[in-house]
Amino acid sequence: MEIYDSAVKQSPVISQIKAIYKARNLLKILVTRDMTVRYKRSVLGIWWSLLNPIVTTGVLFYVFNTVFRARMPDNTSFLPYLLSGVLIVTFFNQSLITAADSIAHGAGILTKVYVRPEIFAMSSTLSGAINFSIGLIPLTAVLLINGQHPSFNSILVLIIILSMIFLIMGLALFVAIAFINFDDSRSIITIVLMMVQYMTPVFYPISVLGPNTLRIIKLNPLTSMLINFRSIYGGNGSTGWHMWAYMVGSSFTIFILGLWFFIRAWPKAVAKL
Amino acid sequence: MTKIPPGEVIVDLEHVAMRYRRTRHRSSSLKQTAIATVKRRLNYEHFYALDDISIQVRRGETLAVLGRNGAGKSTLLRVVARVLPPTKGRVIIRGNVAPMIELGAGFNPELTGVENILLYGSLLGRPIKELRARIEPIAEWAGLTEHLDVPLRAYSSGMVARLAFATATDKTPDLLLIDEILSVGDESFQVKSKERTLELMNSGCAVIMVTHNLASISEYSDRAIYLEAGKIKAQGSSEMVIAKYKSDLKK
Repeated sequence: MEIYDSAVKQSPVISQIKAIYKARNLLKILVTRDMTVRYKRSVLGIWWSLLNPIVTTGVLFYVFNTVFRARMPDNTSFLPYLLSGVLIVTFFNQSLITAADSIAHGAGILTKVYVRPEIFAMSSTLSGAINFSIGLIPLTAVLLINGQHPSFNSILVLIIILSMIFLIMGLALFVAIAFINFDDSRSIITIVLMMVQYMTPVFYPISVLGPNTLRIIKLNPLTSMLINFRSIYGGNGSTGWHMWAYMVGSSFTIFILGLWFFIRAWPKAVAKL
Repeated sequence: MTKIPPGEVIVDLEHVAMRYRRTRHRSSSLKQTAIATVKRRLNYEHFYALDDISIQVRRGETLAVLGRNGAGKSTLLRVVARVLPPTKGRVIIRGNVAPMIELGAGFNPELTGVENILLYGSLLGRPIKELRARIEPIAEWAGLTEHLDVPLRAYSSGMVARLAFATATDKTPDLLLIDEILSVGDESFQVKSKERTLELMNSGCAVIMVTHNLASISEYSDRAIYLEAGKIKAQGSSEMVIAKYKSDLKK
């Protein structure tokens, strides 16, 4: 028999991680729900989730390759460079907002039933990760057409996905609290996300940046993810252990900070839902 | 059900207080909050949605909660459901809690009946294995056996309510929370669902029931509390509390 005693103080972060682990069954059901709704019951199915990154890539490719006649240095092929960037940024933007909304719009359940809200954010993020993995199919196709063969190192993409999950989860918990507390925070978050997107080398090569800009751009965890991703998936550009360390370290730190903040802010936020 | 002897205290609230903070400028925009902070006018006012509430509900008991809108009834249900941690005092809940409130809040119209039973059931904290074995009985009770593989958006609202009710009341919890006795579906189903509710209430769980329907209280429960502005104004036998509440309403 489970006994709940509000007087028993929990050690916050670890006990919440345990609670999330305990709710893994619910997590599985929620992810299955997302996948079923998105793929099984829509006519376009899988293609629908690929539409956004493919169209975005197409437009950007036309603008930079044909209109501006921009050329990448070192004979890097532009299309896979662009597509990998778009895939990473789409994964980030879409999952972050969906995950935050799953909490901010969860009043029907979250104010009635005792369910850790982090589970909802986690399930949205995992669904985003699955979408990203599906996006690897067109990327692989583009690479093969280009004569580049994904190497054995490609398996490291799992570490990138894992870091991304931590990063999105951590940030989504901050954003969810902002959405609940301030009605106008949504427009601010949209602007910030746009800035982050331009601070990620999606369609420009890093080598064109000046030293000061480069320093700022490299602070963005998405930059390290993208550099690592391009390097191991298709072998575009080089990376180093420090890039991997920064990617994993910054993501995990943001996850812990987000969780820590959320646990403190949630009791007040849930009253406003 | 047999794990603890009948009559054991399931809900134990000791001097529970729930304090909310609300801003005077009545806005929740970041812009206004920033301006108010700079002008140092961001003063909050605190108010108690619950104040010094001490109640006990034992297994087999039904406690009715009365009060006007804003008296703290919903907050009380949320505190007992573990959704809100109390600002002061202590809340002890022994066993699992099943809220029978806003049926179908976790349902998804794109999913089939089966998928929704699994989803809603897991939100209520039941293991998937256990739920899979219960799909047939739940559907049969709701009279929806033939519609189980159809997405919920093809259901009528009555069918959705029946499925939600059947899933929510499938298992006897240790503590049942009811926000108004639900009457769902057509007349015959209303009778059936009322029977099921009574059956659950009498099956040895503790029940906390919020209602505005004074006539139904004495039918369901023998004990009641009357909340006003977060405080217990009266408690005791249903008849006594109802009489007190009615005389206050007339004022």
